[in-house]
Amino acid sequence: MRAAPFLAGTVMAGMALWTSAWADASLEYAVKAAYLPKFIPFITWPEGSFASATAPVNICLLGADPFGGKLDQEAGALKAGERPVVVRHLAEPDPEASCQLLFMGAGDDPALVEGTLDAMKGRPVVTVTDSGLKAHGVISFVIDANHVRFDIDDAAAMQDGLTISSKLLGLAHAVRQRSQP
Amino acid sequence: MIRTARDWRPSVIAALAAAAVLLAAGVLMAIYQEQLYSSQQVRSVREQAQILAGSVTAAVVFDDHNAAQEYVDALRVNPELEGAGIYSGHGQLMAGFARGTRLPSQVTEAETSFGSGYIDIAVPVSQNGDQMGIVLLRAVTEPEERRIARYAGLILLVTMGALVIAVLSFSQAALSRRARQLASVNRRLQEEMEERRKTEEALRQSHKMEAIGQLSGGIAHDFNNLIMIVKGNLRLLKRKLGADAEHAAAYIASADEALDRAAHLTQRILAFSRRQPLTPQRVNLSTLAQGLSELIRHSVGEKVEITMRLTASWSTLCDINQMENVLLNLAINARDAMPDGGRLVVETRDMTLTQPPPDVEGEFVPGEYVALAVIDTGTGMPEEVRRRAVDPFFTTKPQGKGTGLGLSMTFGFVRQSGGYLVIDSAPGRGTAITILMPRDQEAA
Repeated sequence: MRAAPFLAGTVMAGMALWTSAWADASLEYAVKAAYLPKFIPFITWPEGSFASATAPVNICLLGADPFGGKLDQEAGALKAGERPVVVRHLAEPDPEASCQLLFMGAGDDPALVEGTLDAMKGRPVVTVTDSGLKAHGVISFVIDANHVRFDIDDAAAMQDGLTISSKLLGLAHAVRQRSQP
Repeated sequence: MIRTARDWRPSVIAALAAAAVLLAAGVLMAIYQEQLYSSQQVRSVREQAQILAGSVTAAVVFDDHNAAQEYVDALRVNPELEGAGIYSGHGQLMAGFARGTRLPSQVTEAETSFGSGYIDIAVPVSQNGDQMGIVLLRAVTEPEERRIARYAGLILLVTMGALVIAVLSFSQAALSRRARQLASVNRRLQEEMEERRKTEEALRQSHKMEAIGQLSGGIAHDFNNLIMIVKGNLRLLKRKLGADAEHAAAYIASADEALDRAAHLTQRILAFSRRQPLTPQRVNLSTLAQGLSELIRHSVGEKVEITMRLTASWSTLCDINQMENVLLNLAINARDAMPDGGRLVVETRDMTLTQPPPDVEGEFVPGEYVALAVIDTGTGMPEEVRRRAVDPFFTTKPQGKGTGLGLSMTFGFVRQSGGYLVIDSAPGRGTAITILMPRDQEAA
């Protein structure tokens, strides 16, 4: 694997990334925390999703925070164009909360997750489900050969009025195409 | 005209200059092509880099080395690319390949740089105006030596072409120089041949005159003696007859007269054959001509205007009576050539000759001469008549009117006196007959 020699450098540089030596679970979540805000530039929300041109992009965390605050750090350093990226912690699923991304961790109750996914259907919210969960949102993390990857349900995204860039689709582990039932 | 060797230079120089211009144009063309090619190459590689940068954004953003490597590997099919690399936002090499060289491990600036045999073109990977990473494509550029080698053949060809032009124009110049030389040599040869022909003809004429002169002179001399015997016997017969001679006197007188005419004829033949007894005396031809002017005027008649231009002051040695005969003869000939009148010029002049006059055969002695010329504005003579004019018994006058001895007698007398006779004539232009007598040196 070519990537291995570069790993030491990137980790030491403070970049929390995936690794071939998947020893530490906290590293896995560091990678996921880094990924979540990076999805934003590749996703186009339908018009009217934001209150104004400078309204923040909200990443909502349902239930416990598996990232240990790392997501807040990553998001704080990012801006999506003119918009700041804001992380919101939700104890309960709140359909009224203005979420653009909604992450559901592996530690959440599967029933709650499924219920929330059903509730969010048709809404312009990118649901992100953690690896280990049976139910899948628009984006679902998977662990493939010790690497953090993600699947994309483009058909669901279309139903929600979301457009996901082909660049991101190209990077996905698996994609459920729009034309598929 | 033989042109000098300097003459070929302009054409050769022009040819060389043309070749140089050709060469320079070729070099400029090659440079232009080369630059066009390399700028096109740079543009095409930059476009490929931009396409890659556009599609690799997600892989760079998510730091997905595998995906990045897949994108880069797609470029391996392009043989123009020596290598390609994708660099993360921090400038670290994420993925790439290189065929012979090593890609830089870190690239932070999206700029173009040159290496030996390759060119690195880096373009930013950007998202929403932010630089997320860098794509670097390394394109093969031909090494300088190989490029020169590629054009060496062309340069060789053009140089050879230039040389061929130079050699051709040189040989062309040499050829035309030769042709000119040949033409001039040919002309000279023809002139010499013409001269030789004239000389030969003159010599032949001279020999002919000599032979006729000797023959007729010998006959005339003996004939003259016979006439003298007949004349003496006729006188004796007259005395013997005495008183009885009266009825025979008419016959005797008639025979005597015929004998006188025969004697006169032999005298003229002798004059032509230069055997007549001459008594040379010092004489000024101007004085002689002046003394004859009345007689000439009387002989040629009213219709002919006479001009005397007597400028000769030198004296010459000749038989005065014969010379008077000659001048009178020439004047009468001139009159016969101008039946409808005209102008007669009698001219004398002192002349110093270094070249033989035209048509003078035999040995010419350069020196001082007195010229006596009789010039008329008459009908003139065609060339073949002019050349035979001094032949004895040659005449153009009707039978019985001329003896054909006038000019040949003049010619014989002049030659016997050491002078020359020159006849200049052309049909319609009149005739000029010039007698050149050597100056009497003792009188000088």
